[in-house]
Amino acid sequence: MTHADSLAGRRILIVEDDYLIMSDLALELESQGAVVLEPCPSVRQALATITAESRIDAAVLDVNLAGEQVFPVAAALLERAIPFLFTTGYDAEALPADYAKLPRCRKPVDAATLLKTLSAMVGPRPA
Amino acid sequence: MTSPIEGAALQALALEAVLDFAIISLNPDATVTNWNAGAERLLGYGRKEMLNRSADVIFTPEDRAAGVPERERALALSQARAEDERWHMRKDGSRFWGSGLMMRLPPGTGFLKIMRDQTERHLAQKRIEVSEACFRTLATNIPQVVFASRVDGVRSWAGPQWIIFTGCSERDSLAYGWLDAIDPEDREATRLAWVRAREVGEYYIEHRVWKQATSQYRWHQTRATPLDPADPDQSEWVGTSTDIHELRTLQENQQILLAELQHRTRNLLAMVQSIARRGARDTDSFSEFLDDFEGRMRALSRVQSLLPISDAGAVPIDKLVRQELAAHVSGAEEPGRLTVTGIEAGISAASAQILALALHELVTNAVKYGALRQERGHLHIAWTVTPRPDRSGSMLSLTWRETGVPMPQATPRRRGYGTELLTRALPYQLGANTQLEFTANGVSCSIDLPIANSRSQAT
Repeated sequence: MTHADSLAGRRILIVEDDYLIMSDLALELESQGAVVLEPCPSVRQALATITAESRIDAAVLDVNLAGEQVFPVAAALLERAIPFLFTTGYDAEALPADYAKLPRCRKPVDAATLLKTLSAMVGPRPA
Repeated sequence: MTSPIEGAALQALALEAVLDFAIISLNPDATVTNWNAGAERLLGYGRKEMLNRSADVIFTPEDRAAGVPERERALALSQARAEDERWHMRKDGSRFWGSGLMMRLPPGTGFLKIMRDQTERHLAQKRIEVSEACFRTLATNIPQVVFASRVDGVRSWAGPQWIIFTGCSERDSLAYGWLDAIDPEDREATRLAWVRAREVGEYYIEHRVWKQATSQYRWHQTRATPLDPADPDQSEWVGTSTDIHELRTLQENQQILLAELQHRTRNLLAMVQSIARRGARDTDSFSEFLDDFEGRMRALSRVQSLLPISDAGAVPIDKLVRQELAAHVSGAEEPGRLTVTGIEAGISAASAQILALALHELVTNAVKYGALRQERGHLHIAWTVTPRPDRSGSMLSLTWRETGVPMPQATPRRRGYGTELLTRALPYQLGANTQLEFTANGVSCSIDLPIANSRSQAT
């Protein structure tokens, strides 16, 4: 199944502290034609990128960034109405109630499921 | 119709009829002048043998020795009457608890003593006293807080432990005053638990109780049951509060540790997945893929044994380096071939796995193509720890220097993955500065890794 139609040209932000997971995900997204923005391993860098980038179509957020929780990034994205999903090693109970119902992919992530969830978020490609 | 019996005759009759009471009259010197049937029955002495004999024989030898009979008479003389509650002795030597009264008769005529056997009542009373003392001792000395309450939670007694623990006086704790010492967040549940207690016949709640000594709320388990389970509404309820704060804290910590373990496991699986997928992209043959993949899995497995239980712990860099070398190089370090020098230092659990993978790539490369394969090759690994200028921690500077290695012309593909780990993954994930050079002499690499502190780690 390909999601190239909806992900092609989309600008995707990856917030993930683990390089191996991040680079794998980036290659996966690029193979679908997505534009992967400079990946961020920390909340500070992610917030800076969100401020600097004029256009972000969707984001993938790892919940635990070397012990730091990603929720300030989630809040900033919600404010800008940018859709995102969490990747997490935690069960839903470990997430604050505000975020427990948002889209979430449990680690280890199934690439096909993640791409499908992301393309559903960004919707069909604009004409 | 017979004429009614009157006066002395009636008295004499009454005296004899009253079998439950010993009624004795005495001269001022305590010799017996009258000894009724009740006295015969109670004391075992016959009337005849007691007449003109001192009545003091009914006292116990200890009391006689202590002068109790004389004191009793002296008291009766001065006060007109003397109460007499003590152990007495029968003719056969057995003892009974006599409860009676000695009255002064008109001056010079002596005394009248009336006494009955109250042994059963006395022993029952003693049992109650012992039981009460036992309860009081228990209730006021056990570490738990003890209280008495009505079925609606209105407190009728607060034990000393409560007063000491909470700093609330007994008066302030009665009725619903005790609720003030409960964490405001738990007060509603605490009250509702009393409503439930009426239905189920037992009070139970876990709530936080103010501890004055340390100015904190501490988790307590509070239970109470009615003294009369058949009538809980009217019965007094007695309850205890037990400090379970340590237990709750341990349970919470356990939950955190379990969540961390789950998180660590999932992340590890995600790493494995990424390594596999990356390997599959990079290699053309399955056997080559499997060779690389298994090597990386083994390196990842080795570092797991060094990871601390808590993420706050540290992994000794020395062990990390030597363990990875030992997996590939047989035998100990050889001065001419392999040297490892560095002080003890700890790196974070989060850093250890990716660093171990990077070292694994360096070692594998050295074994297959570099210093650890060549006859004249030499590998020198050294690290130092220096404080960072901003004092936010320390910098671990590790150098990897291969010498005496004529570099092959063809660059193996695997160097691509190792290079990426060193030059991209470490800077990205750990904020490290790395330099990797393929000199004519061999591979040279330096890694500057920020670490939390320069404190030596126990190994």
